[in-house]
Amino acid sequence: MSADPMILWLDDPAAARNPILGGKFSSLGDSTAAGLPVPPGFGITTCAYRAFMAETGLQEDAARVRRICADLPPEKITAQTRDLVTGILTRPLPPALEAEVRAAYAELARRTAMADVAVAVRSSGESEDLAGASFAGQYETFLWIQGADAVVDHMRRCWAGMFGDAVLSYRHNGEAVAATGDFAICVGVQHMVAARAAGVMFTLDPITGDRSKISIEACWGLGEGVVKGDVTPSQFLVDKVMFSVLKRKVAAQTEEYRFDAAAGRVDFLPLKMECSEASCLSDEEVLALARLAKRIEKDRGAPQDIEWAIGPDGRIAVLQVRPETVWSSKAARPIQPVTSPISHVLARMSGAVSTTKTPS
Amino acid sequence: MDVKVPAGKPAFLNPFEVETPKGAEGWQGLYRYYALLSEERRAFEEGKFWFFDGMHNPEPLYPFDTIMTDNWWVAASQMSTRVWALPPALGIDHRVINGYLYVSPNAVTDPAKIAERAEYFTRRAGYYFENWDTIFTDWKAKAQDCIDRLRAIEFSPLPEYEPETSITGHAGRYSSLNLLQNYSRLIENMLEMGSYHFEMLNLGYGAYLTFREFCQNAFPGTADQTITDMVSGIDILLFRPDDELRKLARQAVDLDVADIIMKIQTPDDILVAMQESEAGRTWIAALEAVKDPWFWYSTGSGYCHADPVWMTDLRLPFTAMRGYITAIRQGEDVRRPLDKILERRAKVTDEYRSYLPTDDDREAFDSLIELARKVFPFVEDHNFYVEHLHHSIFWSKVRQLGDVFVAHKFFETNEDIFYLHRHEVYDAIYDLMIGWAVGTQPRGQTYWKPIVAERRRIRNILAKWTPPPALGTPPDTITEPLTIMLWGITQETIEEWMGIDAASATELRGIAASAGKVRGRARVITDPDHLYDIEDGEILVCRVTAPSWAPVFPRIRAAVSDVGGMMAHTAIICREYGLPAVVGTGFATARMKTGDMIEVDGNIGLVRILDGQGT
Repeated sequence: MSADPMILWLDDPAAARNPILGGKFSSLGDSTAAGLPVPPGFGITTCAYRAFMAETGLQEDAARVRRICADLPPEKITAQTRDLVTGILTRPLPPALEAEVRAAYAELARRTAMADVAVAVRSSGESEDLAGASFAGQYETFLWIQGADAVVDHMRRCWAGMFGDAVLSYRHNGEAVAATGDFAICVGVQHMVAARAAGVMFTLDPITGDRSKISIEACWGLGEGVVKGDVTPSQFLVDKVMFSVLKRKVAAQTEEYRFDAAAGRVDFLPLKMECSEASCLSDEEVLALARLAKRIEKDRGAPQDIEWAIGPDGRIAVLQVRPETVWSSKAARPIQPVTSPISHVLARMSGAVSTTKTPS
Repeated sequence: MDVKVPAGKPAFLNPFEVETPKGAEGWQGLYRYYALLSEERRAFEEGKFWFFDGMHNPEPLYPFDTIMTDNWWVAASQMSTRVWALPPALGIDHRVINGYLYVSPNAVTDPAKIAERAEYFTRRAGYYFENWDTIFTDWKAKAQDCIDRLRAIEFSPLPEYEPETSITGHAGRYSSLNLLQNYSRLIENMLEMGSYHFEMLNLGYGAYLTFREFCQNAFPGTADQTITDMVSGIDILLFRPDDELRKLARQAVDLDVADIIMKIQTPDDILVAMQESEAGRTWIAALEAVKDPWFWYSTGSGYCHADPVWMTDLRLPFTAMRGYITAIRQGEDVRRPLDKILERRAKVTDEYRSYLPTDDDREAFDSLIELARKVFPFVEDHNFYVEHLHHSIFWSKVRQLGDVFVAHKFFETNEDIFYLHRHEVYDAIYDLMIGWAVGTQPRGQTYWKPIVAERRRIRNILAKWTPPPALGTPPDTITEPLTIMLWGITQETIEEWMGIDAASATELRGIAASAGKVRGRARVITDPDHLYDIEDGEILVCRVTAPSWAPVFPRIRAAVSDVGGMMAHTAIICREYGLPAVVGTGFATARMKTGDMIEVDGNIGLVRILDGQGT
């Protein structure tokens, strides 16, 4: 393998924690290496991006745009980036790079035994590694892309997405982080799970911070609805020790995100009647997800936030794993001060009101 | 653990407006004046919240059996009111309504009084906690001594002539006084054991409750039973009778006499068949060796004389042994895997502990669980000493006295004695003494039979009535720990009872006493005698589940009860058998019929009626 590979597969031993896959995809490399059920895929690395920018000479314009945009109001950014974005979308690709991308897609089609295998094309930025800066939802993601031409096209769109006004004006702790740094981006190309149900889960109770629980939010169809927030998810709370489902709150759902073959894209479509009132997860599936979450937390040594999907064959896929940030960054506070156990019991039997952490 | 209930008009039926079932008029005559509602105390009694104690007394009280309720009315209450001076709570009041026991906890609300009581309480309860193990050792010696003295009491009919020994021994006391003294000793012995019963109980529950509450704050939403499992004992006396059955089943298979148990129905016939072979006699010897004390095991709560006891009714132990024999023949090891259960308990405890946020919390958790585990052997073992061993022997002694009355033609059968209050029995004994001493017919020979017949008729009518779960005015707060721990009465239960229409509800909420979710046909049991009707795979629905029903648990799929908290005697056994259980549903036996398809969710405490096809 060359020192600066253009393509790096998730199951390549070099993928785990490799910065050339960007934050999101190198994390998926870790997960793949840990044996988690991550759908197969490859990253078009930051080296590929840099090679493209260098060979087309666009990197100077990129540097100029970054220099001036840090101080521009968002509405004035577009005028400055128009030429750069057009360049990224249209300049010829280095032939070796294009050939490698097409060959990798063909290899994915071979591995999945599907000629025009549907893939998700996602941006995976270096800047995501910045501590605490999530860039949540700022970079481009394209679902259900089919064919090598379309993959190449959407790779360019992900690259161009680096220079969207929202990204350039994204500020963390008052600093326009994307605009001031010389960040590159990796484009992840991954087999698209035609999710029957999908969602997110935390290896703690996000409301109380209780680490003995696993909290799952789920919806019918692709998980975009839960992530975007336009679907009210069903909620499940699982006891992480006993593996019992402690709470189920099934939300009625009328529409789901799924691939519309006629339109050739993912759409928000009406759900079949019999599904709308039913739980999108069986108890068995809830527990299988919880077991997976517990294993991931154990591997990573800290609470995690996990995106997942269940395919039409009922198999669970892990789409993303990242550290839980809200409770993990808070200083731990004692539940209840206890002096001696006997005096504590006596105080309780004397009618002292207990301090409950959260209202139930 | 304060429970807030919306103020306002009484949400439950006024106790004075409860109608007497037709034909049961005059039921008050079965009970003493102090246990009845009365016009003089009407305002007070209407203002209180009374809930049905179906957990201990699912059926109308027999007059004699009120010795048990009279006992804890004083013995449990005095601990809170006078002995510990529990700051927020006094005792638990009782009333008998249509023959059923309703109870009402008394709260202390005056802050000055609470502060005064707190001083006593801290010193006195602190002393018990500090010296718990020593006190428990002494407690077992006292309980054993009390049981030994109970065993020594014997009743026999008065003789035609005083025996010669009365002359040569010149004690100057004769059979008449002996009978009366034995009766007094019997009653006092019962009340003595009744006093020991509550000596340590509230404190034990308090220590456990505190640990549980700590866990609920640290791990909100965790099932009650998960917390109890971290504390509960493994090798407790309560499991011994069932363990002995497992061993006897094993021995029957090893001795090749298991077929006798499997193929012959009635216990008497089994024993006769066993006597025919050397191996059978060996097995009977093994049975006899464990019967005392382990078969002094009640199939009810121990508070009702009519609950069958294994010692005198072998049907239930034989039913259970058949199950174990079948399992052994299929190659199963029916011994309880104590090591595995202990290992699992340690693993679960360590894991929860690891999820606590700070070292301070881990220290608090360690010290609270240590105290809870220290008190728990009493909480679990007292049940065998008191309710099973002592009370079962007590009832057998009362029957022996009943035989004396049958011999003297006061009663038709020894069961009749239970239709007399214990104070009436004292009268009847004196009446008998007079007749014997004077040489005339005692009035009792004609006086009691019609009264017994009338009371039996009335009680049979009362038994068909369904007591509502609560009456009167709900309180602002419930602070009495027993109310919460034993009866499982919390804000949720009260609100649930208020919102439920017993006749039409298709969902009943209760306390999640044992995890798991299953569906199956309901078997509604309101009379312990019908326990034997249970078919494999059915869901047991009862007013209260009793621990000694354990042997039917291998056959059922889940258990549902009207009454009970997570510390109710049975919740312990249910968890041991790994069966889903929902207790404290309030209305399950009224709402469901045998044959209904129901779903029991022991994870969240919900019972759903899927298909009310039962009969």
